Amino acid sequence: MKEILAVIRMNKMNETKRALADAGIASITARKVMGRGVGKVDYLLLQGAQAGFEEAINQLGPGPKLIPKRMLTIVVPDEFAASAVETIIKVNQTGSPGDGKVFVMPVKDSIRVRTGETGDTALDEIEMVA
Amino acid sequence: MIMVRAIIRPEKTDEVLAALMYAGFPAVTKMDVYGRGKQRGMKIGEVTYDELPKEMIFTVVSESDKQLVVETIMKAARTGSKGAFGDGKIFVSDVEEVYTVSSGRKETASEPVSA
Repeated sequence: MKEILAVIRMNKMNETKRALADAGIASITARKVMGRGVGKVDYLLLQGAQAGFEEAINQLGPGPKLIPKRMLTIVVPDEFAASAVETIIKVNQTGSPGDGKVFVMPVKDSIRVRTGETGDTALDEIEMVA
Repeated sequence: MIMVRAIIRPEKTDEVLAALMYAGFPAVTKMDVYGRGKQRGMKIGEVTYDELPKEMIFTVVSESDKQLVVETIMKAARTGSKGAFGDGKIFVSDVEEVYTVSSGRKETASEPVSA
């Protein structure tokens, strides 16, 4: 079992949901999160601010700037991890920084609360929709 | 690669994010969470508060940076000189694969990427 954790743009949510459903992955959990990426970071400016130059500190502003994003959590059997990642990347790719990241993490076990089933059977059946 | 998840006080978020930025880890994600710790919440007079507001910070870094990231967060998130109950917890877990959506590239541990 794999947990796929994707951080994507807010306005791509509907398209992503549709694409994942078409790929047979219907169950997802989504959250609103705030974040920042590696882009738009001027290390020279940071070094200057750390060294105590007034100009650099003023340019950095008062606090960290965070951008609103959607975080998706999907747990799938091992063999579907690759196709899920591929689907998410295909739908969300605009080519510019800020498209997001996809992480794949191992999951030890999952349990369906309703019946107490464990392992892969606890995950929703993945059906291919034409 | 590893994912570092830290649950910290909401008022410490700005400090922790700034500390991470200066330490060279700009990429983080945060979310609001509610929870309690092993002190079973906070008892004020007759009332027990067991859903305390906290903030959860995620960052994915290479394995070699684990020590530095954990220490940076710990130093910034601690209150007082010795720390206090409610300062939070840090969890570290494995991440098998990392993809950047904009380039579609699979990232490897040798490059400085995180999110």
